[in-house]
This record gives sequence, structure tokens and C-alpha cells, in this order.
Amino acid sequence: MLLSRVADHLYWGARYAERAQCTARLVRTYTELMVDLPSSVLDSWEPLLVVAGSEVAYEARAGGVEDEMSIITFLLADLDNPSSLACSVTQARENVRVTREIIPREAWQRINDLHHYVMANAPTGCARANRARFLNRVIADCQQLDGVLATVMLRDEAHEMWQLGEAIERADMTTRVVGVRAAALLSESRRDDGPEITAHDDVQWMGLLRSVSALQMYQRARRGTIDATSAIEFLVLEERFPRSVAAGIARIRQSLAHLPHRDLTDPVVDALADTLIGIADTATDGEALDAAMERVQRALADLDSVVHSTFVVGQT
Amino acid sequence: MVNVATTPTHWDELVHPDGRARPGGEALVELINSMELSELLERQTLADLDIMLSGITFTVSHDGRGIDRSWPFDVIPRIISAQEWRRTEAGLRQRLRALNAFIDDLYHDQQIVTDGVFPAEILAGSKGFRPECRGVDTRFGVWAHICGSDLVRDRDGTMYVLEDNLRVPSGVSYLLENRMVAKRVFADLFERQSIEPVDRYTDELARMLASLAPDGVASPNVVVLTPGIYNSAYFEHSFLAQRLGAALVEGSDLVVEDDCVYMRTIAGPERVHVIYRRIDDAFLDPEVFRPDSALGVPGLMRAWRAGNVAIANAPGSGVADDKVVYAWVPDIIRYYTGEEPLLANVPTYRCAIAEERAHVLAHLEELVIKPANESGGYGLVIGDRATTEQLHEAARRIEADPRNWIAQPILSLSTVPTLTDDGVAPRHVDLRPFVLSGASTYVTAGGLTRVALVEGSLVVNSSQGGGSKDTWIVETD
Repeated sequence: MLLSRVADHLYWGARYAERAQCTARLVRTYTELMVDLPSSVLDSWEPLLVVAGSEVAYEARAGGVEDEMSIITFLLADLDNPSSLACSVTQARENVRVTREIIPREAWQRINDLHHYVMANAPTGCARANRARFLNRVIADCQQLDGVLATVMLRDEAHEMWQLGEAIERADMTTRVVGVRAAALLSESRRDDGPEITAHDDVQWMGLLRSVSALQMYQRARRGTIDATSAIEFLVLEERFPRSVAAGIARIRQSLAHLPHRDLTDPVVDALADTLIGIADTATDGEALDAAMERVQRALADLDSVVHSTFVVGQT
Repeated sequence: MVNVATTPTHWDELVHPDGRARPGGEALVELINSMELSELLERQTLADLDIMLSGITFTVSHDGRGIDRSWPFDVIPRIISAQEWRRTEAGLRQRLRALNAFIDDLYHDQQIVTDGVFPAEILAGSKGFRPECRGVDTRFGVWAHICGSDLVRDRDGTMYVLEDNLRVPSGVSYLLENRMVAKRVFADLFERQSIEPVDRYTDELARMLASLAPDGVASPNVVVLTPGIYNSAYFEHSFLAQRLGAALVEGSDLVVEDDCVYMRTIAGPERVHVIYRRIDDAFLDPEVFRPDSALGVPGLMRAWRAGNVAIANAPGSGVADDKVVYAWVPDIIRYYTGEEPLLANVPTYRCAIAEERAHVLAHLEELVIKPANESGGYGLVIGDRATTEQLHEAARRIEADPRNWIAQPILSLSTVPTLTDDGVAPRHVDLRPFVLSGASTYVTAGGLTRVALVEGSLVVNSSQGGGSKDTWIVETD
């Protein structure tokens, strides 16, 4: 009984809320890395633009200006950048606002509150002195939103549409972190020092895991030491870690199993799952890893268009 | 200390001219008078924050765009004794019984016209009369399922019905939200006295809407039809859909096939049985009414006439909330119920009638002049506040189209103490109770109290700077 129009809003509400949370984690971790590492190892904020998928948009807008504040403001506070954190929160709120008859009231209050907070604090929150506090609040609010939905929302089609959007966005973000940052680290390690992990690389890999909040769980699952190959495998294939690509795909499959038209969606999910086959073999080669992550992203984009044509456009 | 006082020229709802509380208001007056202004302001701040965080908004249009504003709420409630309210409630039941019988009659035999009680020429000139609705039999003979009537109190304490809204009355969501806020702000008072709860409304609405479903439908699919997110009442449409557990649909979500209405879901078309529409008649169905309407559903009227879908309020209900028809409501009540009206109508001069028109034109500065078919206070001229040009203009418009104008004496409108920039001061209020008509009639406990926040102003509409208050029906024993 879920309206197609409403399904679309739920799907995008989830995607934008998840995007806001992922962006916040990413910027938070990268800032910590920049503080930790000597500038001979890491001195540029540009990689952050690449992971966020915003390097082209940024180039068009502020090409040539590459200082910290310009880049961070673009990613967090710029309302003309449709992928900025502020825009993501605005879009998430707008999509939830028009589905208030579906979404639990407390969930609406969380996203509405977050929106007020971000509108008032994003510009000052970009400054390094305030950044951590600003981003922590954004992440905590997004987690509260997830918590409300997990604990009080009816498990019906509306819930599945939300879950689907969230899982697709999360998987997409993790593939970008792996495809851009992990691939770059692999290439650098090989070029300079062979497969040995240098002291600084260690910090970089920790940062990479932390940017999807995976470090502690990785250490527990892999018993401490950090190893490039197993870190990549953890982020991509570890089904027990909810932010891994494989766990995302499992969630996608689960949501679609509760939604109509499986004849249309099953083949696309199968194709998506197939992109993970053989990925462990690429975990030592930066270029191959980057290419593999791009294949996953293309499969996610295919799924997104099938979701749209199946549930939103629909069959008349 | 705060001291609630009133102006001697108006009736105050909370206190007598000497400052003593009216029945039911004792506990509130005692509490407020024991407070520092700062304590009261603190409660107001709490309420404002609550409203902002809950996203209780209304939409105003600005440069063709909809802008959300926080719902304006004044913490000091408006109190009515349960004893008085029971009389008002009985009057509203009687009024709606008669108005529904009137609408049903107009679309069938028009007996009231034949009997010479209601003039044929007034009916002929009515914009709200929809010939497309003639001969349609509605369940229980009810057309205006949801009514919001505006009540005002004059300086002598008499409560009058100012107008009936029988098309798409709005405001009930704010009535319910105001109570949620007030309970948090004045928890102490809710504990100490018996204030009638208001929450039953949405249950009663759900029951009434379900009872309208076509025969043989055991568990009807009820939807709320909204013009969309830019409508000034979108918040309310969403709120009601949520409380009803109904889908909130836009015209484009619905489709009519073989005279049945379906909504487009992710699983395919799903049959719709009852539509609580918040779209005006003119936009409902481009096949029948305005062909340029993008808000409506082509074929909806066919489906309704075939009895395959119920629409609340029924198309054509607006014929009875025309401000000219209003003047005949006391006669309409006598005609259909055989009883004297329990609630007073404001004395109304009908410009359609030559001698009444002459009186109006001679006394413009003592009267309120109203167009028949406007809402939200638009087009209204208040005689003693208008400029000479405005009065001349009003006279010109009345002479050009007398049927479309009425005039009423300038009521003083009662006041309630209200928090202002200069402390607590009396401000004018009205009251909009909501009446549900189906197999039986239900009246909200109280209604939405709207308050004109500007000193001396009588304009209570939120689109024009009005605010609101919670309304307490207090048991006085």
C-alpha cells in the first residue's frame, strides 16, 4: 500500500541522511590525519574531495584554490554544492517532511533539529577549532535518527524502502573510500618501500578504517595488527561488519526480498553481488582495486535506476 | 508580579472587569498572579522551542514560493466553563443537522425553495451550488462531514456564530498540537483541575470516514487528498494522514478507471474507497470543473456519482457556507428541525434585499462589509477603521453586485490576557470548534482559539499576524 511517490521520498531521505553521516565521518577522520601526520607524508586536502566525489564540482567552482578552509567549507557548508553536508541534511529533512505521515514523529524531530543545528552552525563548524564538535553532533544526531527508526518504526514496505536507500548509499561510500584512499595507499607503498608497511602508512591505514568507523571492530576481528590486505578485505568482504560493502549488499537483498517485483530486482542484485567475486585477489594492487571498486559502483548505480523504474515510475 | 487585567470596553474570557476570575479560570488566574513575568516568559520560551523542534509550522506564500513559519502560540490558555460549552455544543449539533439537511434538499427536491423559505434567486446566484451534484445520494444524507464554525463573543457576553466553513476547514491539527504543548507548559494545572481532553477527535474522524465507504467494503482504504507541500495547510494534511493512518495523496497519485479510483503504489494500482479531500471543489476534477486544474483527478466526479468512492466533504457542500446564505441560517434551522436556534447568528444585512442594502449604504462606517465568497479575512472592510476612499470603493462594489455582499454590526470581540512585548495584556480572540457529521455528530471539546496579537486588532488569521491559544473546557461543578 506504499505510494510510489512516497517510496521515492523515503529512499532519498535515507540516502541523504546516510550521505550526511558518511561525509561527517570522512572529514572528521581526515582532519585528525592531517593533524597527526608530518606534512612530508600528507599535505593536501584534495584527496578528501576525490573520496567525496566532489573534485570536478569543486574544480568548476573554486579551481586553483586548494586551502583547507575553502575545501572544507565546500564539503560541509556550501549550499550551492548539492553534495555538501548542509545540502544533504536539507534534502534529508525535506524528504522526511513530506513523508511525516509515514515516519515516526521522533525521527522527524531528530532530522528537523539537526537541520536547524546545521543551518545555524555549519559556517563556523568548518573552522578547525570547532570542526570536531560540529561533526560529532551531526554524527550523533544521524545515529539517533537510525536508532529511532530501528526501534519504533513499523517493519513494512516504507521501512524497507528506507533501509534500501541507506544500504545503497553506505555501500557506495565504502567503495569510494576503498577505491580512492586504499588504492592510493597501496600504490604509494609499492612505489616507495615495497610491500612493507611503514610507520606512517600504519597511521594512514588506521585513519582509513576510522573514516568508516571500522578501526576498533577491525582490531577485534583481526586481533590487533594492521595489514593492508586484510584491512581491504575487512571493508569490502566482512559480512559481520555493517558498514562493509558485502554487508550492504546483504541488506539490499534483504530489503528487496520484502518488496514487490522481485522478478525485476533479483537479477540486478545478483549482478551486484557478482562484482565482489575475486576481489580478494585485487587487495594488493592499487590499480586493480580501484577498477574493482568502480565495477561495484556501476552495479550500485544500475540498481538505483532499477529501483526508480520499478517502484517510482512503475507499471500502469 | 504579573497581574491579569482587562479593558472595561470588552468582555474578557478569563476575568471579570474587577479582575476576579470567571468560572473555571480561578486556578489559572491564581497561578499567573503568583508568577514573576520572567517565569511566564520562561514558559513561553519552552513552548516556542517545543514548537520549533516538533516542526509545527504553517506555510505562507512569498514571491510564489511557500515558506514555513513556526506556528504562533501564546501560552495563556482560553477557558470556557463546561456548563457553557454544553450549551454551545448543542447549538452546533443543531446547526449542522439543519445545514446538512439544507444541502441535501438543494441537490434533490429543493422543498425549502418551493415552500418560500429560501429565495430561488439567491440559490440561482450562488457560486457554491454545483449542478453536477444534483440527485446524488450521500450516506446518511450528510454532505458537510467536517465543519469548522467560527464563534465570537460580543461585549455583552453573547456567543455568536460568525461563519460556517463547510468546504475544507482547517486548523484542527493546531488545536491538537496546542494541547500537547500546553500540557507540557502547564502540567501543574492539568493535574489540579478537570480539563476535557481533545485527543478523541482523530479517532472520531477515522470512524466517521470509514463509515462512508461504499457498501460491502469491510476494511476501506481511506486517503487524504492534498494540493501538495506548498499549500498553506500542508502541515495539517500530513498531520491528519498520520493520525488516521491514511495515505497522504496528491492528485497525480490517483487515477480513475471504470469509474473506480485507484492510487499508484509500488505494487501497482490499489483501490481507494474514501477520500478526505483538502482541495477545493473547483480543482477536484478537471473533466467537470476547472479544466486547467493540475491538482485534481480526471474522472473523480464520475466515480463519486457512481457511488464507487466517498468524498468528504461532498462536492457542492460549499453552497451552504456562502456568507449570503449565512443570513438565512436561522430560518433554515427552524425549517428543518422545527426548533428555535440555540446559537445566535450575528444580525446580518443582505445587500440583495433593497431596503437592507439602503440601510447598509447609509451606515457603512458602523458596519463590517463582507464579500460572500472570500475566506481568510480577505476583501473585508471594517467601517470605523476604513478611509473615506475605502468606504466609497465598498459602496461602488456593493451597488455593482449586491448579491455578493453582506454587512454586519461591528462586534467588539472578547479578549483573553496574552503575553505581549509589554507584559500581559488583553487581545481579541475568536473560536473555531470542529463538528463531525456522519451517523452521529461529534463536536470537539472547545476548539481552536485564534488571537489577534496586535493591540486592538480584530484580525486573527495566522496568515495575517494572528496567533493561537489552547482552549480549555473546565469542569466547574
